[in-house]
Amino acid sequence: MGSLVFAKVYLNDYFTIVGPKEQKSKLKDFNLSFDDYYFGVKSFEMAEIKMQRLVIENLLKKSQVDYLIGGDLINQIAISSYAGKEYKIPFIGVYSACASFIEELLLASLLVSSNNAQNIICVTSSHNLTAERQYRYPTEYGNTKPHTATSTATGSVGAIVSSKKSNIKIVSGTFGKIIDLGINDVNHMGAVMAPACADTIFEHLKNNNKNIKDYDLILTGDLGKVGVSILKDYYKTVYKKTLSNVLDSGSEMYKPDQDAYAGGSGPCCLPLYFFCKIISMKKYHRILLVGTGSLHTPALVNQHLTIPAIAHAIEIEVL
Amino acid sequence: MIYFNAFLLSAVVCMIGQIILDNTKLTAGHITSLFTVIGAILSFLDIYPWLIKKAGAGATILIANFGHMLLVGGMEGFASQGFLGIFAGLLTKSSLAITSAVIIAFVLSILFKPKD
Repeated sequence: MGSLVFAKVYLNDYFTIVGPKEQKSKLKDFNLSFDDYYFGVKSFEMAEIKMQRLVIENLLKKSQVDYLIGGDLINQIAISSYAGKEYKIPFIGVYSACASFIEELLLASLLVSSNNAQNIICVTSSHNLTAERQYRYPTEYGNTKPHTATSTATGSVGAIVSSKKSNIKIVSGTFGKIIDLGINDVNHMGAVMAPACADTIFEHLKNNNKNIKDYDLILTGDLGKVGVSILKDYYKTVYKKTLSNVLDSGSEMYKPDQDAYAGGSGPCCLPLYFFCKIISMKKYHRILLVGTGSLHTPALVNQHLTIPAIAHAIEIEVL
Repeated sequence: MIYFNAFLLSAVVCMIGQIILDNTKLTAGHITSLFTVIGAILSFLDIYPWLIKKAGAGATILIANFGHMLLVGGMEGFASQGFLGIFAGLLTKSSLAITSAVIIAFVLSILFKPKD
């Protein structure tokens, strides 16, 4: 169980905002970018709230919406709650770390597919300087990072899931299981998330009677350069199949000279790379998006507990 | 000669710190605490005063010197006031470093904003 099939669910509009480092990365065609991490407000958290509000406001210009689904990385999904309080729209807050956006799309697709809603906004964001403080160490602490660590991307993405036809169709999806193979290194999230990612890919293929080759591309979230090689090894060892057409948004996002360690991370990483790069390439048509999230909290990592991970998958057809 | 010693001692200590940082999950905070404790132990064994004599500022600017100062302050307090003097004297020698660090950090945090 866990796999879902949707009828008549489309991704209609989307709006993307990228931060200072991301506007110089391989991403193109973003709607808005900014140079200062403060984004004209007093704190990094407020900057992240401002990003989400801009995304929501720009999407609201295009159509009436029934629900707003939001998620982010900061305590009690504070950013989405503060961003969403301005608009009198029923709000669903979700958290599965960097897999949040895919979880949002799955929930929205369920609501639209069952005719309970016509248009739903899914929004997410991350900010390098809020997330690094939340999960690892604040920049002021001056801690060095190993090459296995990822660097949180700054940006916000929103999309409208709708029953109105468009050229991006949501076909099916799979909610993943929580998988914990006993790693507790916050600087090695790729290793934490790769097994969960592999499990979700396998389950999705099995439940939908599909092969890896049926997809032009399997786009993972933020495994990083180390994590994506672990994923391929793990998949080959455990499921005896080769993952050939996998791309990882995090490791592909930045240019080599941008010094992002193993790559980018954060819930906005996958949708940013998908909307600002994959779609404009017009090369891939059947795409499996697999968002990966590391479900740890600093308090429990400090108590030496291991890090659980999750991955959600959604199948998309770009016409 | 003392300049060379100062350079050598600081360099060796920094190298040890870098090796720990690169090969373990310990962060800068852990290493600072570790060196403080090592400084106090070296002071107890009477090695640290000898290092200061040989390397001068090469030994006194290191965080290990903080451990040394804690021990010296505590011992002096014990000598003058007895058991409670350990607590009274512990921070006397390192008061300069601690107080200036707190005040400078406070002033700088008002003047500047954190950046990436």
